[in-house]
Parts: sequence; structure tokens; C-alpha cells
Amino acid sequence: MIFLTVIARLADGLPLAASIQEDEQLGRDLQHYQSQAKQLLRKLDAQSPDRCMLEAGNVNFCYFISQGVCCLCLCDASFPKKMAFGYLEDLHNEFCEQYGKRVPTVTRPYSFIEFDTYIQKTKKSYIDSRARRNLSSVSTELQDVQRIMVANIEEVLQRGEALSALDTKASNLRSQAEKYRSDARFLNTRSTYAKVAAVVLVFVTVIIYVRFWWL
Amino acid sequence: MSTAGFNSQNGTGTGQTYTNGPSQNPVALQQPSGVGYSVNHQPAYNQMQAKVLAPPGPALYPSGPYQPVPPGPQVGSYPPAPAQPLLPRPQIGILPSHTPPQSASPSPGPRPAQATPPAQATPPPPAVTSTSYYTGPPAWQYAAPRGPAPNHVNPAAAAPPLMSHSSTQPPGPGAPPTSIHGFTQPGSAPPPMNPLPPHTYQPNRPAYGPPPTMKPTAPPAGPPGTTGTPPPPKADDVAGNGPQAPNSYNHVDNRMAGAAPPGRHLGHYPSLPPGYQNTSAPPPSSLHPALQAATQPYTQGPQPYQQQPGGPGPGPGPGAGPAQLSPSMAAMSLQSSTPEALRVVNLLQERNLLPPAPVPAPTPCLTQDLQKLNCSPEVFRCTLTSIPQTQSVLNKAKLPLGLLLHPFKDLSQLPVVTSSTIVRCRSCRTYINPFVSFLDQRRWKCNLCYRVNDVPEEFMYNPVSRSYGEPHKRPEVQNATIEFIAPSEYMLRPPQPAVYLFVLDVSHNAVETGYLSVFCQSLLDNISALPGDSRTKVGFITFDSTIHFYNLQEGLSQPQMLIVSDIEDIFLPTPDSLLVNLNECKELVQDLLKSLPNLFEKTMETQSALGSALQAAFKLLSPTGGRMSVFQTQLPNLGVGALQSREDPNQRASAKDVQHLSPATDFYKKLALDCSGQQVAVDLFLLSAQYCDLATLGCISRYSAGSVYYYPSYHHQHNPAQVERFQRDLKRYLTRKIGFEAVMRIRCTKGLSIHTFHGNFFVRSTDLLSLPNVNPDAGFAVQMSIEENLDDMQVVSFQAALLYTSSKGERRIRVHTMCLPVVSSLSDVFAGADVQAITGLLACMAVDRSVTSSLSDARDAMTNAAIDSLSSYRQSALTIQQPGLLAPACLRLFPLYILALLKQKAFRTGTSTRLDERVFAMYQLKYQPLAFAMLMIHPALYRLDDLSDEGALNIGEQTIPQPRVLQLSVEKLSREGAFLLDAGLVMYLWIGRNCHQNFLSQVLGVSSYAAVPEKLYLLPELDTAESQRTRAFVSWLRDQRPFFPSLHIIRDESQLKPHFLQNMIEDRTESALSYYEFLLHLQQQISK
Repeated sequence: MIFLTVIARLADGLPLAASIQEDEQLGRDLQHYQSQAKQLLRKLDAQSPDRCMLEAGNVNFCYFISQGVCCLCLCDASFPKKMAFGYLEDLHNEFCEQYGKRVPTVTRPYSFIEFDTYIQKTKKSYIDSRARRNLSSVSTELQDVQRIMVANIEEVLQRGEALSALDTKASNLRSQAEKYRSDARFLNTRSTYAKVAAVVLVFVTVIIYVRFWWL
Repeated sequence: MSTAGFNSQNGTGTGQTYTNGPSQNPVALQQPSGVGYSVNHQPAYNQMQAKVLAPPGPALYPSGPYQPVPPGPQVGSYPPAPAQPLLPRPQIGILPSHTPPQSASPSPGPRPAQATPPAQATPPPPAVTSTSYYTGPPAWQYAAPRGPAPNHVNPAAAAPPLMSHSSTQPPGPGAPPTSIHGFTQPGSAPPPMNPLPPHTYQPNRPAYGPPPTMKPTAPPAGPPGTTGTPPPPKADDVAGNGPQAPNSYNHVDNRMAGAAPPGRHLGHYPSLPPGYQNTSAPPPSSLHPALQAATQPYTQGPQPYQQQPGGPGPGPGPGAGPAQLSPSMAAMSLQSSTPEALRVVNLLQERNLLPPAPVPAPTPCLTQDLQKLNCSPEVFRCTLTSIPQTQSVLNKAKLPLGLLLHPFKDLSQLPVVTSSTIVRCRSCRTYINPFVSFLDQRRWKCNLCYRVNDVPEEFMYNPVSRSYGEPHKRPEVQNATIEFIAPSEYMLRPPQPAVYLFVLDVSHNAVETGYLSVFCQSLLDNISALPGDSRTKVGFITFDSTIHFYNLQEGLSQPQMLIVSDIEDIFLPTPDSLLVNLNECKELVQDLLKSLPNLFEKTMETQSALGSALQAAFKLLSPTGGRMSVFQTQLPNLGVGALQSREDPNQRASAKDVQHLSPATDFYKKLALDCSGQQVAVDLFLLSAQYCDLATLGCISRYSAGSVYYYPSYHHQHNPAQVERFQRDLKRYLTRKIGFEAVMRIRCTKGLSIHTFHGNFFVRSTDLLSLPNVNPDAGFAVQMSIEENLDDMQVVSFQAALLYTSSKGERRIRVHTMCLPVVSSLSDVFAGADVQAITGLLACMAVDRSVTSSLSDARDAMTNAAIDSLSSYRQSALTIQQPGLLAPACLRLFPLYILALLKQKAFRTGTSTRLDERVFAMYQLKYQPLAFAMLMIHPALYRLDDLSDEGALNIGEQTIPQPRVLQLSVEKLSREGAFLLDAGLVMYLWIGRNCHQNFLSQVLGVSSYAAVPEKLYLLPELDTAESQRTRAFVSWLRDQRPFFPSLHIIRDESQLKPHFLQNMIEDRTESALSYYEFLLHLQQQISK
């Protein structure tokens, strides 16, 4: 079962098209998964592995990146991996064919929401168990299914958080160091002034002394 | 005084007391201007009288005619009975006032021919006449007085009115009034009248040298066009009506006839008083061509005169021209420097309060720069355009503070901004708007919470001028109404597709009405125009005692009907293929629509399981959300949500409280809330001749932000007007813009707080309105209070932000911002009052009140609102105390609107009103944007038989004449004319009995009055200038509103005439006060 499908631009995670299948079992959780999907899309970049399955409890996120477009779906843990990626590639090919050239230029989210119709039809053919058999030939052709990386969604999402925590700490350290440096410089200058002032004072005293007592 | 005076007049008939107003014009007395007002009474009376015959009349109706007072009480509408007594008389008094204008000219000395005279004018001499009238039970006889004015024009016409009156009422009284009519009177049944009238008249006229002559001539003319001799006309009228008096209508007609002349004059009236100047010429000419021709020589001379008199009479001074006013002002010695809005108006004296064109919204007192940027009043209106500084000032003013919105109005120009970040205040989330202040290039200060925010880098660049560093030139800061394309943060889920589900009643009753074929045809015609994109989905469900689904899946050769008879536990037979993509399955959908009407042709199933059908529809729509259109033709009587009939037809006209305004079960409300949670809106089309319990069914739309359409007595053959209306409404409904999964939030400057919302929606969290669907025809209102003093603020701002998904799947935010000044003095608050907005808000509050408390409570509350605000104006804002009922010019229409509300279908008592129609009227008041709600409250009356291109609007290639808006009084009607009454949802074109031949043949395409068909709903398309003008005007009126008002062309004898006359709200009816009576009632309450 595929609950959620999102196609987004890789560069900034802008969603371009999406399709949602309401499911009573999933119910409220769907909101949660949607926001996770959004976060995930924002985190993905050109360095991310181009095929990956992320486990999130009893459901899996699968994504496929190519030509600057990321196709993401949320499916049952029991949903065959092969099928899921076959589905994503199918969507990706059709999407790039229809809208590929316009992808870099759009600014509005869900600009190609009309692609939903195609997504739903494709989804139906993949979910339908009878149709599945027909597709099996296709799926066997899927290359390198083994290469698909499996990770945990929490790790992926939190990796970013850990990095940002490190980043914050580093920048804190840096700012503190800067403060220390400026403080030190200030202290230095102050002591220099004090020394100079003392010398001047002595000198003046001497002059006055000479002026009034010697002359 | 006034009251006393009135009473005396009524009772004794002493004219002297009359002086209602301070300003009396002896001259005025004659004019029974009062007539106009009284008219209403007459009808009531007439009936009575007819039976009784003359004098007795009063006795019979004691309460009624004579002493308005009694009636008033009876009505109960005005709680304070005491006032009533006064009221009746007062009316009479008023009449005099009208006359005064006339007199004014003669004896203007006292006051510059202004309106003032009218009120009190009754000088002794007039008194006599007046008294006689008064004595005569009905003041309206005075109407006859109008006659005078008319006299020249149509003596006959005038006379008839008198006659009728007189006949109905005691002759004695009538006589005096006749004076004017005198000539005519002779003819008229009431002999007494005749004698007297002449006398009275003469006196007056003498004053005007010319007039006398006129009169003589007039009489001849009088026979009014129709008959040569005055008497005959009367005879006719009388014959028809007079004797039979019974028909109130007839009387009315007569009056109308009489009044007619005045009516025409109306336009001139205003100026008249001052001007006798008004050249008579125009009026006469317009009046009765026929007569004129005959009398021309005479008339001309006289006309001027007459006009004057007439003018005064009818229009009495009220209001007319500003010029007049100003003199009066001077006379009053009020502060000459007061702004126009604060000009003191004595409502008892000024009758022509209505401006000739629709009332414009007041302009807030802001600097020009700000005002130029401010939001259009069509979208955003505040009841007080100057916000009081503290709650205590607001309390003192006794005016409601609130906003009226039309947020999704179709706009011709709307700047749309696409940007990745929408600049909003960080603490209150206000959208940046033209009224924020920029502290420097990098910071702006929120105008709602006064927090200082940073200007984001992106905002520094102006895409319009392509320049950098001018954040204050961005479109967001230049437009008070703007739309943003929302970034993905504003979406909880991908934008939903447009989904339309139609739920159709196919029980025997429904098939009988024949609506199904109209619906299917409309949908077939508009199926390509449904808003949406390639994702649009449609579905159909029909129901009687079972629920029928239609499988329209691609690939089927024809639609498949699936019947679910288990209505207790409803389920969807094939969840996937019931809602189908419109583009892909268009042919199947079209097949279904073509076959549906025949499918149930022979059904004998009478039961209706609406509740289960709604549940099924909800299940079908809940995954996506969308719009559910429900067509229902009877009371649901099976399964969940079954209802019992709660209406007792015998209680329809009851003056007692109306029961059953609240829902009988909360099933529909609960379901609506479920729908709202799933972004489903339910629109209800009710087509039924019987009681359907709209109060309960309506909840389904009310809480899901749908709309309600009601077509009483819909039948495809018997009621073609309703069919046309249904067709046109459907067309608009199917093709208008729609916004899905919307929410709206209204914010206001710190210190103000919004506490009550009106309209169709569900309030999620404290201030977030959940609107599963939003359509361009929905209006909203909110009430506000002042929580903290707005001491150091010059201005306050309000912002409404509507977030919605367009039918193309775009998430958009429409933001409207309005800025208003803050004032500290009470008189400034009054100066900024927006009477229409106040009325609209009061109507919403009154609807709530009648549901939660009782109708009479709501009526009292409305009356008290007028009393409180006017008395507080008198006590606190007026520096100089004068007698009379004083109101600032900006509130001068307030009592009229309140009276109109009391007589509106939603709130009236004593007049037969079906419960469903009443409830529907209430829904309309809450739901319609102000401009349309005002028409439903206070209809517009136009004279159509003398349309000219003068002052016409030119739109494209069309020329649309702009006739003047007339007061809603029978006195403004004339038998020689044709009048269009525009009451929002319905229009009546009333053809006078003696309507110009020209109009009949050129516009209606019939040879004579008798040939006007009984049921006529269309203006024939004739190739004449008159026809084109008339049609252009009517269709222009229609085009301005989102619903289709049906047009009824009615003759005098038509069955619809009562409906037409019910809209004459300035007149008296059996159960309700006339405008003048109402004013007196207010005055009495205020002076307590």
C-alpha cells in the first residue's frame, strides 16, 4: 500500500506534485508522516544517495533522485522494495518527460499538482495484486536493487540536528574566543596607559619640584 | 407636546394641536402630506371601513386607523404601548408638515421653505381641514391632500384616493381633506369631503394667487386623464373601490393614483419647497400627458403652483435638496460649521430622506494619503468609521461596533504577489500592509501590535519598479487588498482537487416538481465551465427511501446504478469509482445526466432519507474534501435525521412569538461539523411548497460554510418565475469562483477585540473561521469591543486574511486591510456612523437574538437600538436642544431602516409568513454581503415609465438609465405610471391602471392595460427605445448581484399585489406602524 507520494525539486525541496491516499488505519499519523517527508525533502541534496529506503516504524519512506527531481513515497513496510522503486522510477520518467524543463523555473509549491491524476493511476496499477504479476517482469529488470541503501528515518533527520548542534557549539566557541581576544587587548591597552600615566606623573612632579624648589 | 397635540388632533380634530414640530407652517397644514404616511393605514382601514362604512370606521378600528396608538400596541411590536397612541396622530401631523412646504412658500416667513414647516405647520386654517380629516379616522385621507398636488395633474386621481378613503372612513373627516381634491371629491363618494376640502383649499391657494386658477382647471383635468369629469373618475374608483371599500388594495390604488403625481414630483420635491421655483412645467408634463394636453394652458400656470403645493405636500420638506437644508440649518442656528454628517435633521419634519441614488458608504476621516490606500467599502466596512477611543464613549453612543466583510468578492483588479517569504509581524502574524510604518530602511513597525520587525533582505527589492532599497514601494505596501501565492508552509497537505458531489432527491414529490430535468440540463450546459483543472472530480448520489450511487468508472459503457437500502448503517459500495475524474469520464457523466430525469419518472416512493444520504455523501467526500450540493424537496422523514412538521399554518400571521426558529435536532449540526473537519461544505437547495424545517436543515450549510437556496412553491409548470430563478442561480452557482479548504482570520489593533462572528462557518479556536468552501457571494460580520483605551493612537487597523486553495490547486492568501481614525468625542463618533453597516450588523444580531431568545425580544432590541442611539445623540452630542426627533444627518435613515427590519420577512409579526420563508430571510440577512442585504431590508422603488437617458450610465455600448429611488410609500405610486420594486431576491413591476399607452405598447407590447397578462415574468424584447431602456435597466440591476431576482409584472388586480404592497414599508399595515407613527413612538420613548 502506498500512502503518500511527493515529487519535489532537489535543490530546495520545493514540492511539485503530490498525491495522498487516505487510510483509516494510518489516520492521524499521516500528518506526522507528511511533515517528516517535508523535512526529509529539505535535507536531501545532490550528495545524498540517489536511492534510499528509510524505515520509520511500520512504514518505509523510499526516495529516488535523478535529474534534480526527487520522487518520494511512503509505503507499508510489507510493500516490496522492488515494486516501490519501480513505481518511483515510473513516475519520475513520466514527470520529467512532461514537466522536466520547467522544474528549475517554478517558484510556486505544487505547481504541477495536476500530475496527481497520473500518480493515482500508476499507483492503482502497482497496488492491484493482479496487475502486479504483469509488472513483475518489469521489476525484475530493476537494476541493482541491492544497492539500495537502507537507513532509519530518525537517523537521517537527526543527523542534521546533530550537525547543527555541533555548528552552534563551534560558533559559540568562536565568538567566545573573539570576546576573549578583544578583552585581552583592552586589558593590555589599559595597562599600557597606566604605565605611561605613572611615568608622566613622576616626570611632572620632578619638573615642578625642580621649578619651585631649585629655582 | 407633540404627543398631546396629536392626540387631540386625532380625537378632537383640532388642527391646532397639530404642531408636532416646533416648526409649523400654518400653510403646511393643509397639506395632508401626512397622507403619504397614513396611506398604509388606509388599507387596513379600508377594509374595516368598507364593512362599517364611514365614520364608524374609526370606531371599528379604533385602534387602527384613528389612533394609531392602539394598533401599535396591538402589534406588540413596540413593547412600549404608550408610545403608540401618540403615534397615530402624529402621522396626521406629519401630513400637515408636508403641506407646510406649500405653505412655506406662502408663509415661509418662519422658516425658509424648508422641510421644517411640514411637521408642525398646521396652522389654524389648515387645522380646520386637517381636523376634519383627522376627525375622520384615518389620517391618510390626507393622502388626499396630495391630491392637491396631483390635482392639477390629476384631480381625478387624487380624488379617487380621497374617495376611497372617505368612503371607507367616516365621510366627515374625509371632506376636509378633500379640500385639495375638492374638485375631484365631488365625484367621490364621500360627499362631506368635497365641501370641506374646497374651503380649505381655497384658503391656501388664495395665498398663491395662481393656484386658485389652477384648481379650477385642475378639476377638469382631474378627471385625470381617464375620465373627463372629475366626478366620474371618482365614481369609477369608488365604484370599483370606494363602495366596496373592502379591498384595501383598491384604496391603495386610489391613493396611489392620487399620490402618483407627487411621486413624479418627487424628484423635484426636494427643491420644491424652496422653490416654488420648481417650474411646474416638468412635473406636469411628466404627470399626465393626457391631462396636460387638455389643460395645458391652464396647467402650466397652475402647475408651478400646484407643484409647489404638491411638492411640499408629498415631499414636504424633508429633505430635499441640500440647499433647502442649509437654510433650515441656519434657521436652527446650529453650529454652522458642523460637518455634513452631523447636520441635525428633525426626522419628524423631513420626509424626503432617501437620496436619489443608492446610499454611498461614508468615507472615514483620514488623511488623503491613507484614504487613497484604504480598503474598498464593498469589501470591508465598519459600523463606525471613526472608532471611539474608549469603551465608555462607545457605550455612550449606543451604536454597535463591528465589521462587515465580503472577503472573497469577485474583484476586477487584484494584485497577486509571488514570493518565497511573506512578510508578517513576528508577534501577531499580521501581514505587512500599507498602514505599517517604516522606521528606516531595515525595520518596520506593525500597525496592529506595534512590534518593530526587520525587513527581510528579499523585501528590499521591488519587483514592480525593479529597484532596490525601496521597501515602502512594494505592492504589499501599496495595496490594501492583495493576494499572495502561499509557500508550502501554508499547506497542511497538498492542495486538494476541486470535488463536486451532487446529492439529489428523487422521491415522488421531487419528481413532481420537475426540478431534476432543469438541474441536469443546467449541469450539462455548464459542465465545461465548472471551476477546476484536470483533477476535477464529480459524483452523484440520489435518494428516496434508499440511497443510489452511480458508478462512473472509466471504461464502463454506461453508468451503473448501485442501490443501498440499508440506510441505518450506510456504506459505500465501491469507494473508488463513485467520484470520478470529470475530464476522463465526461461522457459517462453526460449520459447519466441525460438519463436521470427519466429514470425516476414513475417513482411512487414518497419517503426521503436525507440524513442517510448526507452521511453517505460525507463518507464519499471525506478523503479529499470538496463541495456537496444537496437538492431537497420535502421534509426528511426516514432514517437518521428524520423530522416532524413543526409549523402550525394557523399561527403564521400570529402577532405572538414565532416558535421553532431553532433546530429540532442537532443531527445536522453535528454532521456539518464533521464535514467542516474534513473540508466538506454542504450547499442546500430547498425546492418545496410545503414546510421543510429549514431551521433544522439549514444547520448543515450554516456550520459547514455552505449556502442555502430556497425556492418556495417550485414547480416546473406552475411557477415559471421560480424555474427561471433556479436556472440562473444554478448557472451562477456552478460556474462561480470557489475556494477550498479555507480559513479566515480577522485581526485588529491591540486594544480592540472581536467577540462575535456572523455568517456561515465554524469557529475553530477563538478567532479562526473554518471555511471548507468559500464563495464570492458570502458575507460575514463580526462584533467588536474596546478592551483597552486607544488613547495615544491616531488610527486603528483591521486585517482580514483568507487562506484558500483555488480550484486550480493553488494555495492563496487574500489579505484586506482597513484603517480607521480614532476619535475621542461622542459627536465625532456619531459623525462617522455608517447607517447601512449598523443596520446590517443589527440585523445579524437580531437573528441571533430571535433564535436564542425570542422574536419579540429581537424586535424590541432593534427598536431600542434606534431609541438608545438617538436619545444618546440628543443628550450628549447636541449642543442646542430643540423639539422634534433629532438625528445627525448620517443617521437620518436609521429609524427608517429599523422600521424596514421590523417589517422584513425575518422579523415581521402579524403578517402571514411561512416559517421556512422567515428562516430563509434570516439566513439571507446573515449571509448576504451588506449591499444585497440592504436591498432585502429596504427595497428600492423606481418609476419606469418615464425613463430617460438623462444621467444615464454608459457601460460598454449600453446606456443604462438611472431613475431616482423613490420612498417606499403608496403615495409615491401613480396609476399613470409603472413602478419597479427591487427587493433583492424578487422584483415587481407594477403597472398602474391608467398606465401610459406608450409604455404598454412600447415596453410590454400589449395594446391596453386589460391586455397585460395575469402572469408575466419577462419583458418582451421589443425594438423600441423605451423597451431597450427598461430592459437595460432591469438587467443592469440583475447583473449587479450574484443571485437572480425573478421579475413579476403585476397589474392592480394581481394576486401578487399584497406582496408588492408589503414592501411599502413607510406605510401602515394592519399590524405595523407607519414610518411617521414609528418616529413618534421613538420620540416618545426618547423624551421619557
